[in-house]
Amino acid sequence: MSIDTELVRKVAALARLHIDPAEEPRFVAELQAILSYVEQLQGLDVTGIEPTSQVGTGVVTPLRPDEARPSLVREEALAQAPDRDGDYLRVPRVV
Amino acid sequence: MSDALIHETAEALSRSVASGERSAVEVTLAFLAQIERTAGRLGTYLHKNPEEALAMARAVDERRARGAILGPLAGLPVALKDNLCVRGVPTTCGSRILERYRPPYDAHVVERLRDADAVLIGKTNCDEFAMGSSTENSAYFPTRNPWDLTRVPGGSSGGSAATVAAREAPLALGSDTGGSIRQPAAFCGIVGLKPTYGAVSRYGLVAFASSLDQIGPLARNARDAALLYNAICGQDARDMTSRSEAKPVSLDALERGAGRLRIGVPWELLGEGVDPEIHAALDKALAVFAAEGAKILDVKLPHAGYAIATYYLIAPAEASSNLARYDGVRYGVRAENDDLQTMYAKTRGQGFGREVRRRILLGTYALSAGYYDAYYLRAQRVRTLIRRDFAHALTGADAILLPTTPTPAFRLGEKLDDPLAMYLNDIFSIPASLAGAPALSFPAGFSAGDLPIGLQVVGRPFEEETLLRLARGWELGSDVTAKIPPLLAEADS
Repeated sequence: MSIDTELVRKVAALARLHIDPAEEPRFVAELQAILSYVEQLQGLDVTGIEPTSQVGTGVVTPLRPDEARPSLVREEALAQAPDRDGDYLRVPRVV
Repeated sequence: MSDALIHETAEALSRSVASGERSAVEVTLAFLAQIERTAGRLGTYLHKNPEEALAMARAVDERRARGAILGPLAGLPVALKDNLCVRGVPTTCGSRILERYRPPYDAHVVERLRDADAVLIGKTNCDEFAMGSSTENSAYFPTRNPWDLTRVPGGSSGGSAATVAAREAPLALGSDTGGSIRQPAAFCGIVGLKPTYGAVSRYGLVAFASSLDQIGPLARNARDAALLYNAICGQDARDMTSRSEAKPVSLDALERGAGRLRIGVPWELLGEGVDPEIHAALDKALAVFAAEGAKILDVKLPHAGYAIATYYLIAPAEASSNLARYDGVRYGVRAENDDLQTMYAKTRGQGFGREVRRRILLGTYALSAGYYDAYYLRAQRVRTLIRRDFAHALTGADAILLPTTPTPAFRLGEKLDDPLAMYLNDIFSIPASLAGAPALSFPAGFSAGDLPIGLQVVGRPFEEETLLRLARGWELGSDVTAKIPPLLAEADS
């Protein structure tokens, strides 16, 4: 797989990640090197092999009753926000 | 002159506090003094907690005075990697994007440390969001290796490893996703345990790659590592991957050493690229274990060679998803802009360093339409093969012995401009991470240049005790004389 500036820009846009144009060539080169390295996996036969998404044998996702319980104190949680308006988080105008 | 007590084991210190021979304040003051002496040069702490630490120590002493039975970590300072949340205390993950973040809650392990009467002494430096193998990716400053200030302490838990090696704290917690506890433990000459996936709740650990992340102890010896592991292991409803099988280990059992354990060595992995001095250390450890009655056998891990490629698809993919939460809205810093999408992109572009941005790009790419099957899904299938290798090898053997790293600590800057070279350094630590197996690095001597050498043991799920027995077996059976980092002698002169 060949990486170019166009692809780096496209992926950066998907990730909502600003990349300075001056940095693009280095990211292209580094991603190219890493992806060339991981290319080795294409040579393995993985037909019929189940993917591992979670380690642990026989794990059943534990569930709890959906009940109201004490949570973070609202004021303490909101205190971390870069911008707020009363009990709301404020962001730039969307529409 | 430093207080002699900083050289004592955590176990002896806690016992002396519990018996009233020493106060928790006295112990805490000694370590705070050592931090003052060396932490500036080492770059071990992002946040020091002297007032709060002394208040906690005083509270421990008052509880004892009132007749309370103290917890197993009574009065022991414990340093925390800066990706562990402590209520009201800065938690930056070594990143600019969390520069002003103060968590409104304690991590599960922090609650457990408080219950055990430990003293939280500070937040240690790390690679940004735990992504790195040298602690040079911290957005604030690098950490240096106490054995040689021109070398890295390893990473990403480099601050936690260096602070324990330099006797600034008797114990520390780190996190390990692909080797981030074991590799710095090896580079700094201490014990580092990555518990089984599911053994310790990650509630309050800032997530990097959720199918791999584990929290674990760093200590100067096996018994102290066990003491800290016992305080933090066990099931917690707030981390659905944490498991009831996770049980404390018996400190008495560790004295059996290698006993009659069967130790497998994956010889075919240990070819070129492994430093001859590390090879020699491995041979010596095998001789020690054999003398204690262990049986040594050859094991095969046929797919371990694919581990780095597998890891550098899975971990960045999960990271790109986990780090989507840093958007400048609910916490952290924001780059102001009138347009919402631009605000997101600028906040993230300015808030994340190069390594984090590179991994977000790599992970986003591996998960994107058209590439998912070829990269992410294929990597998950290879992960299954690697897990099977370990399961198979660990039917005939009780533990696998291999190096922690191919070389001792490298120099600052040496691999900084070559990310792939930095990644390849993790060749021996990543396979156990992908398998979810417990793995421990123990200090196994020194190179001719007086740099620590670490060896790694990997075990079956929830058999941490076996690994700690081997580490203890090495301590009991080897003739390696204890050394202290030259920095400490200098600091006293």
